[in-house]
Amino acid sequence: MIAFIVPLAVFFAAFFVLPLALVVLASLFDPVLTGSNYQEVFTSALYLRVLRSTLEISGLSTIVTLLIAYPVAYHLYKQPPRQRTLLMTLVLLPFWTSILVKSFAFTVLLGQDGIINNIARALFGPDTALKLLFNRPGVIVGMAHYLLPFMIFAILTSLLAQNRDLRRAAEVMGAGRLKIFRSITLPLSMPGIIAGCLICLVLSLGMFVTPALLGGPKDMMLANLVEMHVRQTLDWGLAAALAVLLVIMTGALSAIISHVRGGGLGSHG
Amino acid sequence: MAAMGKRTLKRSSLAEHWFPALGTVAAIFGYIFLVLPSLIVIPMSFGAGSELVFPPRSYSLELYRQYFQESTWMAVTGQSVKVGLATMAASLVLGFSAAYGISRTDFRGKGLLTVFLLSPMFMPHIAMALAMYLYLSRLGLVGTTYGLVAAHTLVTVPFVIVTAFAGLRYVDRNLELAAATMGAGRLRIIWKVVLPLIVPSIVVASLFAFLLSFDEVVISYFISSVQSETLPVKMYSSIHWEISPVLAAISSLLTVLSFGACVAMSLLQRNDQ
Amino acid sequence: MTETMVWLDAVEKSYGAVRALAPTSIEIAKGEFLTLLGPSGSGKTTILNLISGSVAATSGKIWIGGRDVTHLPSNRRELGMVFQNYALMPHMSVFENIAFPLRVRKYPEAEIRKKVNEVLEVIRLEGYENRKPKELSGGQQQRIAIARCLVYNPDLILMDEPLGALDKKLRDQLQLEIRRIHRTLGVTLLYVTHDQSEALVLSDRICLMNSGKVEQIGTPDELYFRPRTIFAADFLGESNILDVSVASNGEQATLTTRSGFQIEGVRTSLSAPVAKVMIRPESLMVAENEKTEPNTFKGLVEDVTLTGGVVDIHVRLGDAETINVRRLTTRDFRMTERGRPITLRVKPSDVVVFE
Repeated sequence: MIAFIVPLAVFFAAFFVLPLALVVLASLFDPVLTGSNYQEVFTSALYLRVLRSTLEISGLSTIVTLLIAYPVAYHLYKQPPRQRTLLMTLVLLPFWTSILVKSFAFTVLLGQDGIINNIARALFGPDTALKLLFNRPGVIVGMAHYLLPFMIFAILTSLLAQNRDLRRAAEVMGAGRLKIFRSITLPLSMPGIIAGCLICLVLSLGMFVTPALLGGPKDMMLANLVEMHVRQTLDWGLAAALAVLLVIMTGALSAIISHVRGGGLGSHG
Repeated sequence: MAAMGKRTLKRSSLAEHWFPALGTVAAIFGYIFLVLPSLIVIPMSFGAGSELVFPPRSYSLELYRQYFQESTWMAVTGQSVKVGLATMAASLVLGFSAAYGISRTDFRGKGLLTVFLLSPMFMPHIAMALAMYLYLSRLGLVGTTYGLVAAHTLVTVPFVIVTAFAGLRYVDRNLELAAATMGAGRLRIIWKVVLPLIVPSIVVASLFAFLLSFDEVVISYFISSVQSETLPVKMYSSIHWEISPVLAAISSLLTVLSFGACVAMSLLQRNDQ
Repeated sequence: MTETMVWLDAVEKSYGAVRALAPTSIEIAKGEFLTLLGPSGSGKTTILNLISGSVAATSGKIWIGGRDVTHLPSNRRELGMVFQNYALMPHMSVFENIAFPLRVRKYPEAEIRKKVNEVLEVIRLEGYENRKPKELSGGQQQRIAIARCLVYNPDLILMDEPLGALDKKLRDQLQLEIRRIHRTLGVTLLYVTHDQSEALVLSDRICLMNSGKVEQIGTPDELYFRPRTIFAADFLGESNILDVSVASNGEQATLTTRSGFQIEGVRTSLSAPVAKVMIRPESLMVAENEKTEPNTFKGLVEDVTLTGGVVDIHVRLGDAETINVRRLTTRDFRMTERGRPITLRVKPSDVVVFE
């Protein structure tokens, strides 16, 4: 039986463990054993700035995503199963759409000649020019759009797991819909909110495409910095150190997620 | 306490009144935000070839013609399909057999092994991109299709495993034991008893694997060369350096592909349950 | 001398520090219907799993059909197995399900068809070849599962609580069906159940399991009329367990119950001064008169319950003892009223002494 697992294990050893080991080695041996790459990462102003904008963008995107996602998840939760499946396609479609298609669409939507600006001009006069692209707002919008399905799934799952009888009991006792939401639904959906936020943080910390295509020079994230060092300054050691840092951060968050979820990462048969 | 009369329910406050409506409005905004970007490219793709405006000033199939007639675009599309199919095959075989082995045995460290095999799901693509780049450079496989397939398989196999677990859960273990007592060997059991019962999850996993590979950009960007470029890589360069209107046509086609996969999968989910 | 088909030779199973089965030796004769009976955790399922090969023994040997199968995988032991949830291949037709073991053994197509039709006749489901399992009722599915075992003549057929998922009427029908098939074909059957009446109806011998050990093994008669332990007496049928003091002369004894009633002429070699005895509720007879003879109990009726074909009478004998009496139902059963005095008689041969 174990024989069935061996091929994949060998594949992982060859194409996962070894390459990652190379990254760790490259960060430490440059060419001899040294901590200079990590030192540079933690002391240089550029890196600290990029680290800061990474955390800012991640955090802000996660919050924005939460604010948009919750009403959608709640709305889906209130639907009868048939309609819910139908409306889910609206959530699943962006999930399955290539991120490049999405980024391209946003460059069109948010640009000076894009729809948003056209509408703004129609409403506020021909001189209005909203700068929404190649800057922080652009990145946040793009990120939020990417993260939205994940957050919605996380919150919806936790909402659907709630005991329906609690709601009925509260109604019978006279509570209105807002009261029920505030004192029952929302607090009980906290695990879903936390899980969703953690997942979005994990996903957004390592983002490359969105900041590259929709952001400006000040919106460089860690992933873009890695790319810069590989392609432009050819400082592979430094790039490796940054990558290791990124993996540690996302790894720690993932560990927290699985701990919060009770250690279950999908069904193991 | 006894002196207080019975309290009747208050009339609902203003907030109570507006809450449901506000909630629905916010949700609608959410739905529009979700769907708008994907849909916007479709009408635009039917515009005239020189610039991107919405709504398009005139309608034509110019952009589609550009896409299908330009050899570079067609070449990268072909490459993406090739890599996608190879990745799909590799991850199906590796993933399903691993999932089967794990779900039918019990050993120390089973949980740990499972987490390990699923870990690429949680790793930033940039880290895997750098790792692959360094590794494949050593092996001289940068810019080759083999390298791309290996990298893509690594990315897609965890999703295949998760899908396989879900499908295998519904195969009654007693069926396999019954077949064994009747004399069937392991391979016959898999071929005749297990596989026919997990066809829906195999199809879902195939779609998953193919699409994930077809859309993968970060790792491919690092390890492909001009000869082995995939469609997403060329699109990335295009969006980054100069936006070419043909992207609208490509995006529409990809959106239709995604929508098709979406529908296929929800149909399969329903049949499976 | 009947041939031994299955031999468990000091087979033991432990999971780490937990012992699921103490070293056990059991022999099953060819054509015998042996039932493993016991509550959950008694070890009966462990024995089944050891024989089927889904679990490996910690020590001991297992022989089936004269071969040492201890280290053989399930598919080389020449067994048949029937499961509680039928385990029919949902994607195959009835015909294909039954044909499966024949295809594994590479029988020619014509012979497969012949054998499948024959066995469908045995279970009386001719004409169902092309149906799918989900189109059949639970009882029909289980018969197909049985047919699937019969078709290739394995040395031993295992049945793991096969009737547990069926409702009572169906269960009774299938019990008779299984008995009929066993009598007609003479297959060797190892049956596992926790239902004692099922065991009594079906078996040639019953092996009663308790906490990983064999409590008693014997024919249904032996286990019912001569249980050797209180557990055995309690598990099969209803029982009255009484504490008595014994006055014995080595061959016979006079037993005195706690309420002071005496039973004379009980055959036992017990020499201890006290003992526990068992009397089946149906062995107690309600006396017509109140004469105080030996082997008479007098008490007050506490409760009368109609449970269908029998009536249970709960009698209080003194302040320390109660006893249950069971009689066939008659329309006037309520004549035995609550609170009324009642006189019971018992034959000394119906008293089981635990030695």
